[in-house]
Amino acid sequence: MITLNHYLVLAAVLFCIGLYGVLTARGALKIIICVELILNAINLNLAAFSVFVAPNEAVGASFVVFLIVMAAAEIGLALALIILLNRKSNISAVDSIRRLKG
Amino acid sequence: MIQTFLFYCYAALAVIGAIGLVRAHKLLHSVAWTLLALSAVAGLYFSLGSEFLGAMQLFVYGGAVTILTLFVVMLTRQGAQEQEKEDSSASAPASARVPVKRLAALVISLVLFCVLTIVFVSTPWETVVPSPQTSASLAEILFSRYMLPFEIVGLALTIALIGAIVLAREDDPGDSADATDGVAGTDDGGTADGTVAADTDDDPGDAAEEGNAL
Repeated sequence: MITLNHYLVLAAVLFCIGLYGVLTARGALKIIICVELILNAINLNLAAFSVFVAPNEAVGASFVVFLIVMAAAEIGLALALIILLNRKSNISAVDSIRRLKG
Repeated sequence: MIQTFLFYCYAALAVIGAIGLVRAHKLLHSVAWTLLALSAVAGLYFSLGSEFLGAMQLFVYGGAVTILTLFVVMLTRQGAQEQEKEDSSASAPASARVPVKRLAALVISLVLFCVLTIVFVSTPWETVVPSPQTSASLAEILFSRYMLPFEIVGLALTIALIGAIVLAREDDPGDSADATDGVAGTDDGGTADGTVAADTDDDPGDAAEEGNAL
């Protein structure tokens, strides 16, 4: 029997793998992908709570919809920034970005 | 019984995909592992019984986000490889710092995971008998109580994607004199023009695609 705790622990595993990726990756694109993984873990948590705790009203599921939309907006902006940085200075590793002005 | 089996299948796929994503050396492989992990999360939504969320996860992440990321990987790959080469050949102290950084990240992640698991297991959740939420109940609450936030989120997505187009756009012909003056010192004018042309083709299409998917 699958309980709420199964989903929560799985989401925690995904979250921590994503956190490890964010902390170790150097390329900006890989950091963005790992952030997507973290957001997915959060969405999974919300959906599981929605089904297991308050299944009569789909409040958690609607939060998941909002989060997916905002994640899409975030990744669009981030990818545009990466393209811009790459065109201006041919840089992809975040810790070699030193100049943010102009 | 079959539900338990499916849950463990999807969970294993998601964790394998996530680990592969983090450990892959090439960005293209990383994106492929991402596709596996995010599709497995969609399967988890289906096994939770919220079929709309699963379908949306497949559309948005399996379709739009992965394709967009692939485009950016291909547009920026050359610079990334040069950067990697430069880093691996250059500074010794930086490469000596990397294992320490990895170890610290591993310790932080593991500690956080242990804390989260202890909290999850020790909290007495007031769970009820799970009943799958239909798309109808989600639509009902989305278009009545959360009507205004729904509209605002759509507006925010539009603004963000217009901003993305403006950021990644080729410079105007009027501004191009200034722009070429600004980057005249660099010698890669030819390649920069090529990537710029490809990239302006790409962005409005993807914006429209994401708008349709949502």
